[in-house]
This record gives sequence, structure tokens and C-alpha cells, in this order.
Amino acid sequence: MSYQFDFGPAFGSVRYLIRGAGLTLVIAFVSFWLGAVIGLLGALGKTRGGASLRRAIDGYVVFMTNTPALVQVYFIFYGLPSVGITLAPLTAVLIGLVLNSGAYLTEIIRAGVLSVPKSELEATEAIGLTRLQSVRYVVIPHVLRTVYGPLVNFFVLLVLGSSMAALFGVEELTGRAINISTTNLRTIETFIIVALIYVALTLCAQLALTAAGRRSLYRARPAKRSAYV
Amino acid sequence: MSGVLEQARALFSQDNVLFVLAAMGRTLMMTLLGCALGFIAGMLLALLRRSTRSYLAPVRLIAAVYVELFRRIPFLVILFIVLFAIGPIAPDASLFTIAAVSICLLATAFLSEIVGAGLDSVPTTQVQAAEALNLGRLRTLRYVVLPQAWRVILPPAIAFGVMFIKDTALASQMGVVELTFAGKVLVNRGVAPALGFGLILLCYFALSYPLTRLGAHLERRLATSRH
Repeated sequence: MSYQFDFGPAFGSVRYLIRGAGLTLVIAFVSFWLGAVIGLLGALGKTRGGASLRRAIDGYVVFMTNTPALVQVYFIFYGLPSVGITLAPLTAVLIGLVLNSGAYLTEIIRAGVLSVPKSELEATEAIGLTRLQSVRYVVIPHVLRTVYGPLVNFFVLLVLGSSMAALFGVEELTGRAINISTTNLRTIETFIIVALIYVALTLCAQLALTAAGRRSLYRARPAKRSAYV
Repeated sequence: MSGVLEQARALFSQDNVLFVLAAMGRTLMMTLLGCALGFIAGMLLALLRRSTRSYLAPVRLIAAVYVELFRRIPFLVILFIVLFAIGPIAPDASLFTIAAVSICLLATAFLSEIVGAGLDSVPTTQVQAAEALNLGRLRTLRYVVLPQAWRVILPPAIAFGVMFIKDTALASQMGVVELTFAGKVLVNRGVAPALGFGLILLCYFALSYPLTRLGAHLERRLATSRH
């Protein structure tokens, strides 16, 4: 082993890398929230829609989840110009990731909706809640609790998956790492630092989201004074 | 319209079809090799993390850190690190080896969590009963724990394999001639990008959809046959 580690040049560009990490987070955020909109509509369509709508949503979900996001973006970025649509790299990556996460989130949210037991809905009827009340106080809290953990995990996967944008020249964390390693020639050191930034990023995101979820989903409500005392 | 037909005919020339099939095989081999080795290493890690001997405490810590770290690093970044780190260790490692090693590193971390969840799903009382019957640790594992754990392990492990078929697409960036790289070559040969990459998407689908179905089928069957 004759390799001499030298983290100096890579440490010098940590600030530049961290600003790239900002873009990484933005990409993950946008794909998560726009994907969540698709996922919500998809889950709604799959649980409430007619047979043909359900089949169409199934086709979309099955196709997107069984093919690589990278090739989907290749298709969008290199394929669409032939029909006259030319996209900037970041836009193409975002469209690809949004469509991709939309498919996964459809499945996650649908599983959450299906997890509400029928008996729970009947119970709300029995105690005289209106439909809106039962959705507001029973269905949504139930779905959020079952779905929250998988959603946090999925967000972490999106942060990691967004590194694919580097291959299209987007200057997020991995893209910036490629940029500086071609000039400082300290590729191993640069990428080890980048790996650690990813670890810190996902760890912080996961801890913060889990803590926030625990506070808002499982908050112990102060007991109301009984009316007859 | 006739332009498209002509292009399709050019795309499905014998040369191209064989080339894409070979690339498909390489994608599959890469995934299988990486995941198989990762499964063995992941199982060892999961068992190590559940050992109770005090002298193994540092190993347990290292195993835990390894799993936590490698589940949080993008595959692309691991590929770059392995690509440049393997030089001093094995100067003439092929690109295929590098990709397989990267997959193995990542698969070890993910699969050790999946195997661990399977091991934990077996009630402690079963292990205690095995102990009472004077079964050794290895025999307990072989005859009591694993037969019950594999039902919990198999479905998510297959889902993970599907995830990895897709992640190997990133290895095209280093020049491994797998499916995605084949797509780029087709486009360079003059195939319309939408057609070329569309075909590659279908190839990936053909690889991973049967596996997805198998995983869902096993999940249903094994879930109902429990107890």
C-alpha cells in the first residue's frame, strides 16, 4: 500500500461542496412534494376510481417502479428533443424524479389508506360523527401514522437517488465532487468527504423528521375535564 | 410513420439484439453476484450484531457503524470511491469487478438489516427451547431459527434485488457494458434516443417485473402459511 492520503485539497472545498448539498436537498424536496401530489391523486384513484382508471394507475406505478430512474431521465432528456421539447438538465432530472417518486408514493399512501380498519369507520358512525369529522379525526390521523415512517425512509432514498443528477451535469453534491476531483486529483479523499456529507445529511433529516412526527402525530393531548363532574 | 418503421427494423438487426441481450445478461450477473455475496456477508454481520459474547463488542460496534454508514451513501459515490481505491489494492481489476464489489458493499449493509429483522422475528422462547434440548448454537440456527426466519427475510430481500437491478444502471457511467451502456451505444449507432432508451426501459422491465411478482406472491403465500 503506497497510497498517501491527503485530505487538504478536499477540505479546502468543503464549503463549495456543502452549497451543492443545498441543491441536493432542494431536488429531493421538490421531487418529494410534487411526487406526493401525484401519489395522493394516484392513491385516491386506485381506491375510489373505476376499473379503467385503476388499471391505468397500476400500469404507471408498475412501469416506473420496475425501471431505473437513470434510464427514465435519459429517455426524457435525450428522447423528448426529437418531438421538439428540449429540457435543461435540471428540469429533465426533476421531471424524471417527480414521476418516479409519484409512483412509489402512490403505493405508500394507498397502503396507508387501506390500513384503516372498516370497524374504525363503523365506530365513527356509531358515535354519530359526520363524514367530514370521521375523515378529519379518524382517517387522516390513522393514515398519517402508518404512512409517516415509510415516507421518511423514502425521503432519505430520494436524497441518495438525486446524486444521479450529477451524470447530467447538475451541480449538486455529487456533481460538485466530480467537478473538483477532476482538478485536485484527490478523488478518493473528495468522495469520502462527500460520502460523509451524505451520511450527515440523511441522518439529520431522518432524526429531525422522526422527532417532528413523534411530536405532532403522537402528542399526548391534555385530558379534557369530564362534563359531568 | 414509415420512418419509424424503418428505424425499428434497423434497431432490431441481429447485431443489436445480440448486443442488448448480452448487456442484459451482464446487468443480471452483476446484480446476482453482488447480492449473493452481499447476502452472505450481510447474514454474518446480522449474526455478529446479535452475538452476546463480550469480546465481540468492538466487532459489534464496527458492524453497526458499517450498516448505518453504507445505507446512507449513494451508490454512485460508492462506485467512484471503489473505482479509485481499488487501484492500489488490485491494479488490474476489471470494471465489472469494481461494479460487483460496489454492489456487494452496499448490499451487505441493506441485507444485514433485512436478515436481522428476520432473525428477530423468531420468538426468544424458541431459542430457549432449543437450548433446553441441548442444541448447539449452530444447530439452533440451522434447525430452529432459519427455517422460521426465511419467510420474513425472502420477500423484502427480493424487493431489494429488484432495487439493485435498477441501481446497476449507474455502473454504465464507469463504462461497464450493461443495459444502460448498451442504450447509449445504440443511440451512438444512430438509433433515435426515444427508441433506444425506450427499448432499454422495456428490457429492465422484463428483468425486474417477474421478480417483483415473485416477491409479492411469496409475501402473500408465506404470510398466510405462518402458524
